[in-house]
Amino acid sequence: MGFGRYVTARVLWAGVVSLIITTITFLLVSAAPNPSVQEAATQAALQGGDPAEAAERARELRGLDQPLYVRYMDFIESVYTFDWGWSRSRSQPVTEALGQGLYYTAQYSVPWTVLTVLIGPLVGVYSAANMYSWKDHAATGFAFFGYAIPNFFFGIILLLIFGVWLEVIPVVYNTDVAVFSVQNAVQLSIPVFVLVTGSIGAVMRVSRNESAEFQNAEFMKTAKAKGVSPLRAYAYHVMRPTLVPLSTTLVGQLLALFLGSSLLVEVVFGIPGIGRVTYNALIAQDTNLLLGSTLAFTFIAVIGNLLEDLVFTVLDPRISYDDR
Amino acid sequence: MATPLLEVEDLKTTFSTDNGDLTAVDGIDFAVDEGETVCIVGESGSGKTVATESITRIVKEPPGRVEGTVRFKGRDLLSMSEEELRQIRGNGIAHIFQNPQEAMNHCYTVGWQIAEALQIHQDVPDKKARARAVDLLDRVGIANASTRFDDYPHEFSGGQKQRVMIAMALVSDPDLLIADEPTTALDVTVQAQILKLLDELQDEFDMGILFVTHDLGVVAQIADRIVVMYAGKVMERGGVLDIFEHPAHPYTQQLLNCVPEIGGNEGGIPGTLPNPHDPPDGCRFAPRCSYAEQTCRTGGQPEELDVSPGQRVSCIHYRDGRDPSLLRENAPGVESGSNGVSSADD
Repeated sequence: MGFGRYVTARVLWAGVVSLIITTITFLLVSAAPNPSVQEAATQAALQGGDPAEAAERARELRGLDQPLYVRYMDFIESVYTFDWGWSRSRSQPVTEALGQGLYYTAQYSVPWTVLTVLIGPLVGVYSAANMYSWKDHAATGFAFFGYAIPNFFFGIILLLIFGVWLEVIPVVYNTDVAVFSVQNAVQLSIPVFVLVTGSIGAVMRVSRNESAEFQNAEFMKTAKAKGVSPLRAYAYHVMRPTLVPLSTTLVGQLLALFLGSSLLVEVVFGIPGIGRVTYNALIAQDTNLLLGSTLAFTFIAVIGNLLEDLVFTVLDPRISYDDR
Repeated sequence: MATPLLEVEDLKTTFSTDNGDLTAVDGIDFAVDEGETVCIVGESGSGKTVATESITRIVKEPPGRVEGTVRFKGRDLLSMSEEELRQIRGNGIAHIFQNPQEAMNHCYTVGWQIAEALQIHQDVPDKKARARAVDLLDRVGIANASTRFDDYPHEFSGGQKQRVMIAMALVSDPDLLIADEPTTALDVTVQAQILKLLDELQDEFDMGILFVTHDLGVVAQIADRIVVMYAGKVMERGGVLDIFEHPAHPYTQQLLNCVPEIGGNEGGIPGTLPNPHDPPDGCRFAPRCSYAEQTCRTGGQPEELDVSPGQRVSCIHYRDGRDPSLLRENAPGVESGSNGVSSADD
């Protein structure tokens, strides 16, 4: 039983999970009344036609008269071939609309994720190394602050300070500037800062507490007796075992924030990212687009959890692949 | 006489705790010659481990604080900077510890950890470091060393782990090996194998060994000289035969009495170690000593007195004008004939 087989099994399982989620989504959608059928009926009634006949035609047109399993097969096929339908509210294919949203979301999500992954564990381990000093207390205070304050609220306050009073960033995100420009970096710095404070708290705390355990481990005494410098001891002997439990928190935190808070932050800062696309689709009752973004978020979560599982086994050699 | 490999003078290690300072090692002296095995003996909590970990200052500072003089090949280790000391650790002086189960990092292969010990001190390419590590793994008795190199610690048994730890300690060819109860966590058969291995390696690598144990059976097997510690002080020291045949200090006598193999009573020593925050005046052992008298309970620990060549004891009963034969009557290893000689009262 090797690593390869474990990876294959895990990937297959992720596929099954996504299929289950897609099926549940399909059942929910097919159970709900279709707004476009109702619209056609209303239209016909207004123009003096037969609303029942118009509804029937609209249903036929969209293939809703087909038996459930045929529609299910069609749905599944289109989901996995990325034929996610037409967005009524944006008059473009759903995948295109999501792609445009992702383009803006990535602009702040990539720096935010990178900063959290880099700074969180480093500050956490540093905190543990200087436990109960003022540095540790300062880091802990910052972690709790970021953890406790809601992102959208913190965002509004910072927007008020830097956007309204100091006028260093535009109040509404300016989409006209180039992606890699100073202007763009400046206007994204505040949302990135808000998201980093939100995500880094848990990462810092977990890495601090885990590494506090490992820095007092017997193997640290062995390392010291071998002549390993404190810096190397922390970088190799503390950081590595800390990453094992941390990887769970890290992926969980990042996903939760990505799926939840990014929407709020995009609304607050007026960034036309994937969160805003979803939000607008909801307001406009654009079923296809809403369905598309739900599936997109679901797939991201499934892939995130898959990566977490794989990283976990790579980091900790004691985890056996055998009976799973 | 040549300078000893390791010379410890007036070593004192204090820990600051919430209840005030705790002196774990209170001004001890000892020396280890080249190629010699010195055993530090004493019950748990007597400061043996702290003493050995103070030598290269791997004891945590703070809360620990090490004072005194430790000369290794004539150089004072305690006045060295951290950086200079790191050159000595693992290179000149290597350690193996009590619990091999915990002594290795579970995230790295044993080979990586052995190679690390070498490459920190010497600029050796990976390939050569690997060859050296495999060579040593083979030497300490790990079968299929070249494939085992890439295994993780959890894939080894306790005894094998201690062998790996020994290989790790020897990789930089140290002059002194400090072994802190290396066999205590192992079962008896494995214990004997490890002791035999250490004995062989000592000749091969020509190194001095400072061995810490509370197990007098182990001491008898490997020691050249013995230092008996109690509550942070040295009670007695001497050659292994002298100590086993004529233990001078009441504590040493009682300690030997606890060894069933040499006719001990297995009853243990009544009482417990004194509170390290507030050690008693006079001899540290006086509160538990059946020969203690008023003089024993005042002043500091008695000076060390010669009782036979190379054997010194810290006990007032050996001062001039005293009759120490009183202490001998319950001692193990004494022929029964000499028992009735003295019945002098104090």
